[in-house]
Amino acid sequence: MSRALEDVLFGDLTHKAQAITRVVSVGVAAALLALIAAIVYRFQDAGQFAGRLWEFFAWETTWVFLGKGLLGTLASAAAAAVIALVLGLVLLVGRLSRLRIARWPAVAVIEFLRGVPTLLLIYVCFLVLPSVGIKLSAYWMLTLPVGLSTAAVVAEVYRAGVLAVPRGQTDAARALGLSKAQVFASIVFPQAFRYIVPALVAQLVIVVKDTTFGYVVTYGELMQNAKVLIANYRSLVPVYLVVAVLYCLVNYAISRASHRLGRPVY
Amino acid sequence: MGSVSPLLAEYGPAFVQALLLTWKLTALSFVSGFALGIVITVARLLPLRPLRFVLTLYVEVFRNIPSVALLIFIVFALPDLNVVIDYEPSVILTLCLVCSAFTADYLRTGINTVDGGQIDAARSLGMQPMTIITSVVLPQALRSVVQPMTSLLIALMLSTALASQVPLPGKELTALVAKIANDSAAGIAAFAVAAAMYLASGLIIAWAGATLDRKVRILR
Repeated sequence: MSRALEDVLFGDLTHKAQAITRVVSVGVAAALLALIAAIVYRFQDAGQFAGRLWEFFAWETTWVFLGKGLLGTLASAAAAAVIALVLGLVLLVGRLSRLRIARWPAVAVIEFLRGVPTLLLIYVCFLVLPSVGIKLSAYWMLTLPVGLSTAAVVAEVYRAGVLAVPRGQTDAARALGLSKAQVFASIVFPQAFRYIVPALVAQLVIVVKDTTFGYVVTYGELMQNAKVLIANYRSLVPVYLVVAVLYCLVNYAISRASHRLGRPVY
Repeated sequence: MGSVSPLLAEYGPAFVQALLLTWKLTALSFVSGFALGIVITVARLLPLRPLRFVLTLYVEVFRNIPSVALLIFIVFALPDLNVVIDYEPSVILTLCLVCSAFTADYLRTGINTVDGGQIDAARSLGMQPMTIITSVVLPQALRSVVQPMTSLLIALMLSTALASQVPLPGKELTALVAKIANDSAAGIAAFAVAAAMYLASGLIIAWAGATLDRKVRILR
């Protein structure tokens, strides 16, 4: 069925129903405009349009500073993604192994890392590890936990991809005399990887979101830099609004990319 | 794990309270977010352009914004707009908004699994569009989203950790671990206990979700 459900539901309205729909649409639009007006009034009323709160957005230094924060976010997210891709592969190989001694620890690690909040892992790196003598830089206190918890999810995504490759291909390759490792590396995994590229890119959205916790360990990412700006200019609402928009744009771009990659290749 | 038992002797009741608070935050935000998500899904089906546009924007915004950024905005920025919400409702509101956006997204996918022919059939029986939505489309869509909703509930449960970012009067699990790690050298043991509690909660939810899914799944 290629027809969208709402078109089937409301596809062929009578003239009267169409007229009603139009009137109600205008009513809804008016209500939404009233809502926007109320929000604007609220800003005005609370003095949030004062030039002092917004003027520094006209300065180049502000955007350079926010840009640095965004770069910090992306640098941490990129390294976390690499950790996740590599460690996820290691966990996958363990998970698929027929040796219990490899499989059980892999399952345990995956379930553990997936079942514990990333923020808790960040606190462990931040508060607990130093007490046993392991000191990480702020960058790694953020990147390592994010990478670890993503790795467990990525391992499961990989596994879904591997299971989606038809079993007959493995049998055929084995019959041709390839070793198990060869079959995995040159037949199964390359195809599995293509299946799951959209899911992996979508996972990147979660990585970017998780790096927001960078301010907990005072790593200079977007949120942390936003807090510095707020401390400097005493401008809470504008800065947080701008930062929220930036996060939404970055993640929306990643989501769109994931959708594009998800379209079949012919 | 010799250090766990002295820890439990000292902080045992605190851990129980933290676990209960984690569950409470999860349950309240899930129930409200799920209900709001259903309302949004239905409203998005109505042939009202402006409403559809705004709700699509709503879903994209709350799906893509980091929950912490949203929480910090609600707790620290809204008071500047003379909107003051207490800490605990702020956490629930944050998670509810995020949950509703994902629910609306999943339900939309679930709705797409309903065959258009069923709608034609229902209309030819003289059913009104709203009746079709509530008695033909939604029941099937809801039954098909049990698995993604289970994952969402687990993710939501883990997200309650962000409550540690605001000075909540009670402490949930992550805040408790941070406090114990700050005050004493029992950080690792505290982490182990909290991790076990999170894992157990996740397993319970996963089991309940799988059981429900087996009961209501539509075999096609």
